[in-house]
Amino acid sequence: MSQQAKSGLDAIDEGPVPSDAAGPTAAGAPADPAGHPSVAALIARFGTAIIHHEVSAGDQHVVHVDPTRNLEILGWLRDDPAQRYDLLADVTAVDFGGGRPLQVVYQLWSIPHRRGLRVKCLLALDALEVDSVVGLWNSANWLEREVYDLFGVTFRGHPDLRRILMPMDYAEGHPLRKDFPLRGRFSRAEQTRRALAQDLDKFYTPHDIKIGREPQQVTLPAAPAPKGTGAES
Amino acid sequence: MGVNLPGVGAGAGSGGLFGQGSPTFLTTKIDYVVNWARRESLWPMPFGTACCAIEMMAAFASDFDLSRFGMERMSFSPRQADVLICAGRLPYKLAPVLRRIWDQMPQPKWCVSMGACASTGGVFDVYSMVQGIDTIVPVDVYVPGCPPRPEGLIYALMMIQEKIRQESLTEHYELRAEDPARVASPRASDAEVVALSGPFGNSTQQNKLVGGMEVKAAPPSDDLIP
Repeated sequence: MSQQAKSGLDAIDEGPVPSDAAGPTAAGAPADPAGHPSVAALIARFGTAIIHHEVSAGDQHVVHVDPTRNLEILGWLRDDPAQRYDLLADVTAVDFGGGRPLQVVYQLWSIPHRRGLRVKCLLALDALEVDSVVGLWNSANWLEREVYDLFGVTFRGHPDLRRILMPMDYAEGHPLRKDFPLRGRFSRAEQTRRALAQDLDKFYTPHDIKIGREPQQVTLPAAPAPKGTGAES
Repeated sequence: MGVNLPGVGAGAGSGGLFGQGSPTFLTTKIDYVVNWARRESLWPMPFGTACCAIEMMAAFASDFDLSRFGMERMSFSPRQADVLICAGRLPYKLAPVLRRIWDQMPQPKWCVSMGACASTGGVFDVYSMVQGIDTIVPVDVYVPGCPPRPEGLIYALMMIQEKIRQESLTEHYELRAEDPARVASPRASDAEVVALSGPFGNSTQQNKLVGGMEVKAAPPSDDLIP
């Protein structure tokens, strides 16, 4: 490992450091846009903002889009009548290491058209910021918090961007980055002390935990009368 | 006509265990009675975080039937529990929860670390995992296995019973007194935590810490047939 042994917060302040390991290439061979109706429509409408298109794992179409226009493009994919990607199945990220850009991945599914599409935004390691899509899909809320927690990507406009998996006062950085040491940056003794010093009541009040809405009154339509009872006219 | 207990009362005859007449009494040692009561009614506090908890449930279910030992009452409140069974891996985020449960349990109390992850961190030698719960709470019995069979857990609880059998009220203070200042703090010192959680730490380091690194050949037992 070429990286010097670091301790404490110094390594975090330096930000992401490219790893030396050679990994798989981030982008595959360009594919034919005609293979997927949404990809052809995207290229027709947004032109150069659609940076790259490839097919992964047989039939999964992947488009790389301009990260500065992700909100516009994803909003169009959700609202255009020919697309209707109304289900955001996943938001995640991939760090390939080696100084390559970090990818934020949106996995979309169109329920009316029964079509899937994967949209990726490539972010340079020194500018890990992208617009939040919580305004488009509520399911992005916790998923973007997870990406922020584990990769350190800042989502502009997120209503509640804080850690979700790691402890709230976790100070060692973002664990799923390639430059994150496997056992963390602090000694085990320091980690144990910090873990036990957590004040859970400080972060999780009963008010915070109450995430659901009040139960809703549901009125079901009247069931039709069963046949053969003479009730039908 | 009174209570009709075998060996007690009018119908028991002269061969009864307690003799004739009522009330009956017997003489014994207070240590024996107290330890008997404690070890035959251990109430476990299940702290199941992973697959070990499945084996723990199997141990409590009918095939293995831990209630034979007076332990059928799983205590989901630490305030009415005697044995903390940590079954499964413990992330650092959960460490204060385990420690608080231990602090809330009244003395006398014991702790079983069930499985490789709870005892040593197991395969999870990573940033998020406690490398052995003995850095957090004092552990009485470690159960090896990944996960251990229900028999392993039963054997661990029988070892706790054996431990209780050898206790005496005269050593109650040394064994059971707790320093209120140590609440919610790691059990182990910094040096010990580092030693325990090094690579392959717990199994070898525990030997080193208790001074048992010089493994001597056991003397041949007298029971062996030559």
